[in-house]
Amino acid sequence: MGSTGAGVSEPTETGTVEIVIRDLSKIFGQGAAAFHALSDIDLEIRTGEFFTLLGPSGCGKTTLLRVIAGFEQPSTGSLGINGKEVAGLGPNARPVNTVFQNYALFPHMTVAQNIGFGLKMQGRPRSEVEATTDEMLRLVKMEAMAERKPSEISGGQQQRVALARALAPRPRVLLLDEPLSALDLKLRKEMQGELKRLQTETGITFIFVTHDQEEALTMSDRIAVMSAGRILQLGSPHEIYHAPSERFVADFIGDTNFLDLPVASVDGSQATVTLPGGKETAARLPQGYLPVLGETVTTVIRPEQAQTVAPGQGDMDGVVENAVFFGTDTHVHLRLDDGQPFILRRQNIAEAREPAPGTRLGLTLSPGALRVLKG
Amino acid sequence: MFNRNFSVSRLPGFGAVAVFTFVMLYLPIIILVTFSFNAGVSQAQWEGFSLQWYQAAFQNDQVRDVSIRSLWLALAASGFATVLSTLAALGTTRVGRFPGQTMIYALINQPLMVPEIVTGVALLILVAFLKVQTGYTGMGYLVAAHTAFCIPFAYLPIRARLETMDITLEKAAADLYADHWQAFRYITLPLLVPGILAGFMLGFVISLDTVVITEFVKSAGQDTLPTYMLGQLRRTITPEMNAIATLFLALSLCIVTAFFVITRKRGT
Repeated sequence: MGSTGAGVSEPTETGTVEIVIRDLSKIFGQGAAAFHALSDIDLEIRTGEFFTLLGPSGCGKTTLLRVIAGFEQPSTGSLGINGKEVAGLGPNARPVNTVFQNYALFPHMTVAQNIGFGLKMQGRPRSEVEATTDEMLRLVKMEAMAERKPSEISGGQQQRVALARALAPRPRVLLLDEPLSALDLKLRKEMQGELKRLQTETGITFIFVTHDQEEALTMSDRIAVMSAGRILQLGSPHEIYHAPSERFVADFIGDTNFLDLPVASVDGSQATVTLPGGKETAARLPQGYLPVLGETVTTVIRPEQAQTVAPGQGDMDGVVENAVFFGTDTHVHLRLDDGQPFILRRQNIAEAREPAPGTRLGLTLSPGALRVLKG
Repeated sequence: MFNRNFSVSRLPGFGAVAVFTFVMLYLPIIILVTFSFNAGVSQAQWEGFSLQWYQAAFQNDQVRDVSIRSLWLALAASGFATVLSTLAALGTTRVGRFPGQTMIYALINQPLMVPEIVTGVALLILVAFLKVQTGYTGMGYLVAAHTAFCIPFAYLPIRARLETMDITLEKAAADLYADHWQAFRYITLPLLVPGILAGFMLGFVISLDTVVITEFVKSAGQDTLPTYMLGQLRRTITPEMNAIATLFLALSLCIVTAFFVITRKRGT
């Protein structure tokens, strides 16, 4: 099944590579009805990192997780875990455990029996199963619920049990399939911190699937943004947010302004673009992309990377169309002089009035914030 | 569309229809049970309370013989039917779709649609042929016929239970290092128990109750309780039959009650 270039290395240690995926694809169906759920996936996940697969529903992130878990087999390519090729092996033969979206707790077993199940199946001695179960109950603070059935505990508690059950056999990798999506907002925030704590305490590699960009940004060491079965960008939350490689990534992560601007000059990794109103400003170029002079390029800038000044005093001017109050900040929707829309996020540090529609404002862009997207 | 507040119980005559229906359903049974305690021979005239017909039934060796035969036949037939139905249900819900799946489902349920008398005549011809060919005339024919008849009844609740079961649970078991057998033994089977019990009890009651099939298949001296009672009714009717029928009823009620208690307790 595909190349075996991934495998044959000695057991890994912290800071090394845990999972190696090469040229992996997953095709459902055949012929004209074939659906490419995953295409050309090349990915290395490091030992002990909190890795997130982020994308809209149907982007292939859950399929990739299921391929790593062993519930689906790749159509082509190789998948190595801890230096061992696992493509073709079933889920019970892989050192990975899954936290399912609906938790999938065994309803006829107690919380303690659920947590001990994996160890029992591995044939560990009873004393070890009991000791580890107790340890896991403490880790997720569920000691008092050990003898309850899953139907007798709350959704948040079920979530903790599902985590403990998956962590108990000490897998090399923990897979989490949108585990927080069923919880309400407050509990979700709490569990985000809890997950991060568990990951740090256990040192286990976490692969987390979510469509929630905020969740991805706050928890991850690295994020892979996926769309239509491909990984579009791989990087730290900072890189993904501040240096999106393409329009889809910029659009999917946070609010973004897209400005189509003509290039005035190019100098290495930097270009000079002409802003509406005629002023020129620097814009960073993505690696390996050189626009032609005079060509119109798409640039991005986040709504919080601009400040208001008096009209004519900034880099460009805009007319207020409306302003929406969000509590901590206000989103001001502007129309630039060349007709392009621009959203400005203004933090409500002082109790300021929203600018009235029709007001003309000057805008200063944060230095270095403007980036050119690959054509 | 019906009004949101519409209630059928407010229609004129609802109460009368309801009472009439219940009377029609239960009056014959009430009369049967009542006259099983009659001191006289009459089925129409109350002559005082007595347990003599129960006594007569218990002392009747024939009644004891056919009752025991009925019970173990029902036990064996529903037991075999339950095992086969569980395998059939697993085979039709826990494998990938295969061509002819719908037809298999229809074939398993087919005995429910075919009139019992047709099955009876068909079995009569087959069994007569086999008896001639093999010379075997034992209870095996009845066990096989009852098993076949019980399969669709046992299959339905087991399949229903498997279909509503969350398949992710079995995936979770596999993820936690269980092999196929362990996943079945520790997850699927315990969760399937209420369905298996329901199938078994349904099969048991059906086998206990069947007259037509038994009548056509049985050899001499293989009477079950229902065929024995039918035979007795051709002669004189005594309240002994009422007593036997009442005990039969009590047994059925016990089974149904036990089933509800068990499934309620195991309910998930």
